[in-house]
Amino acid sequence: MTGPMLAQEMGVSRRLMPMPAIPAPGLLIGGAIGLALAAMLGLVGAGLAHEHIASAQRLVPPGTLDHPLGTDQLGRDVLARTLEGFRWSLAVVVPATAIAALVGTTLGLAAAANGGWTRTILESCAETAAGFPFFILAAPIIALAGRGYGPLLVALAILSSAPFALAVFESTWGGRYPIPVTPAFHAVRTALPVVSAFILADLVVAEACLSFLGVGASASAPSWGNMLADAQQTVAAAPWLLYVPATALLLTVVSANWFGEGLGQIWTPTVGSPQETWRFREDPGSSGPIR
Amino acid sequence: MGLQAHTESAAPKAASGLILMLFIKPISRQTAVVAVLRNNHLTRIRRSTTARWRPATPSGQVVAPPIDAGSKLVSVEARRWEGDRHGLGARVGMRLAYRAVQLAAVLVTAATLLFVLVRVSSSPAALLAGAGASQAQIRAARLGYGLDGPILNQYVTFMVRGLRLDFGWSPVHQALALELVRQRLPATLVLSACVLALTGLVAVSLGVWLGLRAGRPEHGWAFRLLLTGQSLPALAVGLVLFQVFGLTPASAAGSPLRFSLSVLTLTWWLVPRVARFTAGTVAAAAHQSWVLTARAMGATSRELLWSHVLPNSLLVALALAGVQVAFLLSSTVVVEWLFGWPGLGELLAGSLRTGDFPVVEATVFMIAIVVFAVYAAVDLALAAVDPRVRKAPSPAAV
Repeated sequence: MTGPMLAQEMGVSRRLMPMPAIPAPGLLIGGAIGLALAAMLGLVGAGLAHEHIASAQRLVPPGTLDHPLGTDQLGRDVLARTLEGFRWSLAVVVPATAIAALVGTTLGLAAAANGGWTRTILESCAETAAGFPFFILAAPIIALAGRGYGPLLVALAILSSAPFALAVFESTWGGRYPIPVTPAFHAVRTALPVVSAFILADLVVAEACLSFLGVGASASAPSWGNMLADAQQTVAAAPWLLYVPATALLLTVVSANWFGEGLGQIWTPTVGSPQETWRFREDPGSSGPIR
Repeated sequence: MGLQAHTESAAPKAASGLILMLFIKPISRQTAVVAVLRNNHLTRIRRSTTARWRPATPSGQVVAPPIDAGSKLVSVEARRWEGDRHGLGARVGMRLAYRAVQLAAVLVTAATLLFVLVRVSSSPAALLAGAGASQAQIRAARLGYGLDGPILNQYVTFMVRGLRLDFGWSPVHQALALELVRQRLPATLVLSACVLALTGLVAVSLGVWLGLRAGRPEHGWAFRLLLTGQSLPALAVGLVLFQVFGLTPASAAGSPLRFSLSVLTLTWWLVPRVARFTAGTVAAAAHQSWVLTARAMGATSRELLWSHVLPNSLLVALALAGVQVAFLLSSTVVVEWLFGWPGLGELLAGSLRTGDFPVVEATVFMIAIVVFAVYAAVDLALAAVDPRVRKAPSPAAV
């Protein structure tokens, strides 16, 4: 839900701000471990019976052998459902990010490679779309198209492609001319994984929020948003219904953000590096780094 | 008073950032020119007096500050302004016109998407009339939107009605959709105003404190903490607060406790974002050559911070903050629904669940208008305080 922050950070702060003087691989490693853990938990959860409804076993508190993390108001195992949530969440978000990256990169490169009105229009469109909170538009679209996997995937993919377009454009357009092919390829190759990680985190949150509002996953799907919406109804009696899926959500989102930030710190061209030098050389309007 | 003494003693207080919001005093052009002219002669002075401003590794080894980073950073936001050769009024007008065009583009896109989705649904007339509409109302909607005519006419009718802000009657609320949205808007604005005030207080102080410590160990930890705090979704934070304070869905909506918790959740969402880029702009400005020159000419650290570093960095931070405020609205939808605060977001979420299409359309339009009004306000604020915008020579003077 923070789309343009990414583009802003990619376009302005990440490249230009001397925020962390020393790139810290800790963030990257921590994020990678967290993401791998999320993927593995999703695989583990695939084998568990998460849809088994047992009306005699409603709201069992955590700690029993059968249900280590308790059951929900329909008697479904919270642990199995949360683990299944990893699979559901990643199955929505990873393809959506991939589609958005493809569409966004194409548009961004088209804007950077062209001149005149083509570039102006494409840049303005990307800027406008990335500056508008896409969640506001995604919710009515899914509500009208019907809840479920397909509408969720398509809406999230289309609406999150603008930040990609903006980031790719920002990194391949050197101020006045498109940069040469090899540096452009390098810039896109370094920008894409970083932006993808941030968009991935955003889309996980967006999916949970949409499902929480009742306009995302279908009511029976093991989405964390659905689980949190149910948990809110019985929160006084059964707080574990809230904390278990919330922890899973935090693990995924924090890991993806750490991964993106760590990668960005390490791959950011520092001032004076070869990547940064051609940027100034190609732009006659810039005086270049002060030496 | 020796330079060195000030260098050592002046740890700028975090709170000083707050009052600065009221007295932004931009650096004068003359100072900047002097700074550039003298830059070449300052190498020795730089070595002796400016170690404090350089990012140091945890082991104490000093690394070279990225001198150029800040000047380019500061110029990025001003790029659009500097490009054209018109007077101030014309430039501000062009910028506002650009925002209006952006708003129009978003509204047309949104309306077209909604139209297409309504058309492919099983019964467009029932959808347009809203959930729970009577047969007479559905018939009225079919006539009103011309749903029996050719598709192009339907599209034109739909868009014209949107243009006239005529969204129709909501059967659920028994009121005009536009009237409902107008009633709910103040609640959202009050909530956002409280969040912005709190964020301005906390995030700017935090950002200034953090930005002046770039490269130190505590900066690294605070930065990671902020990144993690930024990653926590408003949904999760709000639900945890909901549980901790013992709220239930049935407890009184709109109570002071619920309002405070909404403000707290949204502030939690906004503070790390604003603090992070404030820290970045402050750190960038602190490495500028004109800061160096001012220091060499005897400015105290306090003067450096207040007259040179903060005005330049907070201008950029203000420009970046506009985007975050616009995106605050999407979190507002979730948080208002969660805490039952009767604002626009709660109206949107409720109407989505009941399928109240007229209200959904009206709310999306209103939120889009608010978003681009925020952007326009930030543009105007920048024009008012940024000397590059305010004082740039008009073509006649050149």
